[in-house]
Amino acid sequence: MERVDVTGEVCPRPALIVRRHLSELEPGEELLVRGDYPPAEENLRRTCTKHGFEVTGKQAGNGSTDASAFELKITVTDDAGLR
Amino acid sequence: MSDHRSGPAGPRLTEYAELHGCSCKVGQGNLDELLSRAGLDGDQNDLLFGVGEDAGARQLRQDLALVQTVDFFTPIVDDPYDFGRVAACNAASDAFATGATDDLSCLVVLGLPRELRDHAPAILRGMADLLDGVGGVVAGGHTTLNPWPFAGGAVTATAHPEHLLTARTARPGDRLYLTKPLGTQPAMGALRVGDGEFGETVREATDRPIEDIGEEALAWMTTPNRDAAVVAREHATAATDVTGFGLLGEATVLAGNAGVGVEIDRLPIVDGTLALSRLFGYGLADGESAETSGGLLVAVPGDGTADFEGELSGAGVFYRAVGRVTDGSGAALVEPKIERVRK
Repeated sequence: MERVDVTGEVCPRPALIVRRHLSELEPGEELLVRGDYPPAEENLRRTCTKHGFEVTGKQAGNGSTDASAFELKITVTDDAGLR
Repeated sequence: MSDHRSGPAGPRLTEYAELHGCSCKVGQGNLDELLSRAGLDGDQNDLLFGVGEDAGARQLRQDLALVQTVDFFTPIVDDPYDFGRVAACNAASDAFATGATDDLSCLVVLGLPRELRDHAPAILRGMADLLDGVGGVVAGGHTTLNPWPFAGGAVTATAHPEHLLTARTARPGDRLYLTKPLGTQPAMGALRVGDGEFGETVREATDRPIEDIGEEALAWMTTPNRDAAVVAREHATAATDVTGFGLLGEATVLAGNAGVGVEIDRLPIVDGTLALSRLFGYGLADGESAETSGGLLVAVPGDGTADFEGELSGAGVFYRAVGRVTDGSGAALVEPKIERVRK
């Protein structure tokens, strides 16, 4: 699984960084996104879902002391597209 | 951004903040919990209205009410003079949302990191100029060193008590109006990344230069809601201003405060911001994108809309009918028509 860490990045950069990574993946592949900027989680969920990607996620627990840390697993579906 | 680029060169103001403009506002759920835990969620019998509204109001005489509010936030633009204008416009807006426009004065609240102290004069001048334009004054203030910048102020204004508006008096059947287009958050976001590694992606996403979109968003953020308020208090049943919760969030607050439902069927947006919002995941098409120094959301009875619209037009105030108040609950978008607006 591909991974990208957007910890420390503020909007709108997380969405743009994730978009760049997703553009290199094929349907069926997954991207694990880790971050710590609360609005970014909601924005990533929104933009990925609207573009046809499947998004699942949880609060990052293991090893993280930041309550706002998150992890999202984004799956490229056959319908996903970045336009 | 403006002809007043007078701040020193160097670090960009927005680089010092993780959240920008009204998007740094604490969420409604967190705020409700805070007020509840502090015991501030009960009735306030000494006031005309207070916690939960855009401002607090106290009746001083039979014919005079004092309205008080405080609002400050992190930089949404890099130019310090423009930041000051937006901050003052936004702080005064909470008073205007209640219909209070007279005797306006502002106590400035300003915090800056040590390395940005030289920006203070331009920020203050921007605030003073904006307030001067609405008949207000800077009456003093408090400045402090702080790890990230913020500016705004405590604003007082007066009005006849019968002129005051709140969000809790909207009635089923009222039409809802918005007095500025939406889209400040994606417009300002695009400027923050327009020159960097994602510049090409951002510029290709929209059919307008992002500088034009940003210029227009700034013009709206520095358009005072005073003229809209003067008309609204003659015709409206309720009003609030649209800020960090976005249009749908503010409509939800209005619906909750008034015990009514709200349906939004039109979204006027600054042309070019819809594609940027889609790129950034900001939720503008869902009414969820945070606004900074946004317009008034005004509820007007059906038989008063013609006069209301006529007077807004006469005063040169932008407006769109964006929905209606129902006897339901909560706020929702109902197949909204999206209109691209150019100033």
